[in-house]
Amino acid sequence: MIRVDARVCLGCMSCSNVCPSQNITRSEDSGRRTVHWKRCKEECDLCVELCPAKALSLVPWDENIPEPEISFDLVACRICGSPYATEPMLQRIESELPAEMQKDASGLEWIRICPVCRRDVEAEGTVRQMVLARSRK
Amino acid sequence: MAVYIDINRCIGCRSCEVACQRVHGGHGHINVHYVGDYAAVPVLCHHCQEAGCTKVCFSGALHKEGEVTAFDVEKCTGCGLCALACPFGVVWTDKLAHKCDLCQGREQGPACMATCPANALSDDFELAARRARERAARAAAVGGRR
Repeated sequence: MIRVDARVCLGCMSCSNVCPSQNITRSEDSGRRTVHWKRCKEECDLCVELCPAKALSLVPWDENIPEPEISFDLVACRICGSPYATEPMLQRIESELPAEMQKDASGLEWIRICPVCRRDVEAEGTVRQMVLARSRK
Repeated sequence: MAVYIDINRCIGCRSCEVACQRVHGGHGHINVHYVGDYAAVPVLCHHCQEAGCTKVCFSGALHKEGEVTAFDVEKCTGCGLCALACPFGVVWTDKLAHKCDLCQGREQGPACMATCPANALSDDFELAARRARERAARAAAVGGRR
């Protein structure tokens, strides 16, 4: 059986993706991601090995232990407001990237912006440069 | 090597998106974004020197191979951290990570570059700068735009 340390779980998609018997399910609806670990008798430790946060461990079978389930409120993008990531994932990225990378040239904290809006910001920035270059005499 | 964009030339036809999707089995890595009604910008992987995606990838699937930000599909778990660590939003995950691989294994080089009807994409870093200088020189010679 799988034991989950809820304090360190990031709510990422690693374990549910790698489980060969689909014993770990992930569902997302209305801004909330829920990961559910079914009771599992397999002697496989792919999820344990491939957990980025090392939140999982295997424990002996016990019927009395309830199936673990964790829900995460997804963080809303600061520009468009659509939910796009769990807070622990964003915090992990903030802790792993060097501080000078976490803001772009205009001081924008891009980690708190969803990938679609990041592309829009990038496109607008590039166009601004082009317009400036053209209007210069 | 990376694919460089000359947005002065992009006509926003999205041919590059189609070419990329054809090479990568429907999962394209280039997106054309429209800014107002006057410009289009294809946004794709910059193959950053200090690539955020490689820094957060815990399994070593995303890594630097010289100038290229390379991807080893065998190691990817699809955790989704890379997609959140890309400042340009050009890495995404759907069971596995998807990002520009410069059409590895395709003899003729990146398909987006080959297909662009406006020659807006190239792997020559100097080309866009050279064209800009030419435009400036022409404008100076004929008295600029009116």
